[in-house]
Amino acid sequence: MIAMGTEGVCGESFYPSDEEIKKWMDKAFDMAKDALENGEVPVGCLLIYNNEIIGKGRNEVNETKNASRHAEMVALDELRDWCELRGLEVKRVCEKTVLYVTVEPCIMCAAALRLFNLPVVVYGCRNDRFGGCGSVLDISSANLPQTGTMFKCVAGHRAEEAVEMLKIFYKQENPNGNPNKNDLLNYVTFLLL
Amino acid sequence: MFKFGTMEPERKRLKISDCDVDSWEVVPVLSDELSQDVELVDAFAAPILDKKQTSKLVQQLNTLHPLTSLAHLKRVRACKNKDSPHALEILICSVNDADEPCHFDCSNAGLGEPFAVKIPRTPPLTRRQFEQASEHWPTCFHEVKQVTAALRGELFNAKQKAQMRDYMMLAIDSAKAGKDLGMSAVGAVVVDPSSDKVIAVGHDCSKDHPLQHAVMVCIDLVAKSQGGGCYTYEKYPGCKFNSPDLENKTPQPYICTGYDLYVTKEPCVLCAMALVHSRIGRVFFGIRSEDGAMGTKFKIHTRKDLNHRFEVFKGVLARLPLISTELKVKRRRS
Repeated sequence: MIAMGTEGVCGESFYPSDEEIKKWMDKAFDMAKDALENGEVPVGCLLIYNNEIIGKGRNEVNETKNASRHAEMVALDELRDWCELRGLEVKRVCEKTVLYVTVEPCIMCAAALRLFNLPVVVYGCRNDRFGGCGSVLDISSANLPQTGTMFKCVAGHRAEEAVEMLKIFYKQENPNGNPNKNDLLNYVTFLLL
Repeated sequence: MFKFGTMEPERKRLKISDCDVDSWEVVPVLSDELSQDVELVDAFAAPILDKKQTSKLVQQLNTLHPLTSLAHLKRVRACKNKDSPHALEILICSVNDADEPCHFDCSNAGLGEPFAVKIPRTPPLTRRQFEQASEHWPTCFHEVKQVTAALRGELFNAKQKAQMRDYMMLAIDSAKAGKDLGMSAVGAVVVDPSSDKVIAVGHDCSKDHPLQHAVMVCIDLVAKSQGGGCYTYEKYPGCKFNSPDLENKTPQPYICTGYDLYVTKEPCVLCAMALVHSRIGRVFFGIRSEDGAMGTKFKIHTRKDLNHRFEVFKGVLARLPLISTELKVKRRRS
């Protein structure tokens, strides 16, 4: 596993243990598998606070017609609702919350995670098309004083499996075996991950 | 559904000169490759002793040192120094090509003493780059008229600028409505330029939700106009949408495809990438912002490794107080 990020930015020693990482990433992978079986984008995404799921999400772009409704954005809204219900301050809770996600968050989601002040993100495979934690841009550790706080990344947990699921998903997108140029490109991109 | 009121009363309160379409310029935010200076590399050239041998020399050199990656350069130039006994100079090879020893025997071929020159590494893309490049070595230039016009601020006529002003005034009105609720004074408007119809108007709501920046609000309002969306805006009378004429519209609108966005301030990373995902047509903003992702910190709209690119223009109504004060305050603080 490769740890990336900037030292001393997210403060003290808040960091998930190896056991926690395994437990919650396994759970995120179960979600991704479920999504794949239902013909949805195979990405699993969980927000964990005090050993409890306080937000989870799946891609809701199609039903909302809002292209910003990635799994992470949906999960962050659940986190807000969870805090509101319990009368807890979102910022306080976020300081001790970890995002577990099977694929590297995109540039937009990385900015969103900064704005929520999340300290740690654990992800599976790289996202060479949109990745915001180093693959296309490194928003997680960029110098953006007006855009929340930097966060640390733990990358590579079960990466091959995450790629495999994406490959299957993009194959399903073209049942006719007559892929358009873009789909083919996406597929090739994922093959190269 | 709602009607967008006229903006006359608002405009009367403002200084006429700051709204005047001649008082601000619409400036394109170009990719680095278009806006940067010409990159120069070292090369060798030599004077041609006998002008009549020029075409033979060009042929010989084209075989020995073809200008494969430098096809934008002319092989021969007129000597810059008027007092020189030789009228022409010829490009032998770039220093990189000469890593292997140059086999060209200058003195036997009828060339004078070779000398070092700087040559532009890539073809010039703008007139400014062409002029810079030509100072070093004559260069071919395929001018893209639209880029030149955009750089001169001539892409839009007075009527189009008046329309931009009206849309930006709507964004400013919304920003004021947001400010009255304690939000940051940022407003945005989404327009369908094919029908000149305003689809969405929204302001920053980040005091209530950290991701509800004016642009994110507008993206969701556009989704609402197409029967989707995921937030409610009843608390915010300054945030509204207008459904496009779905019956007669072909093709059906798809997220923000073909739409223009007007926003008082340069979008941040969150908003800029959300606009990439939303396939926005063009973006017009007023002033830059500290963490801006459309020119200041990044140029997300020009990245070739992302699957959607679009044109961005800055400077719309940039002299108006509401748009420009906020940044001034921040600058003073920092």
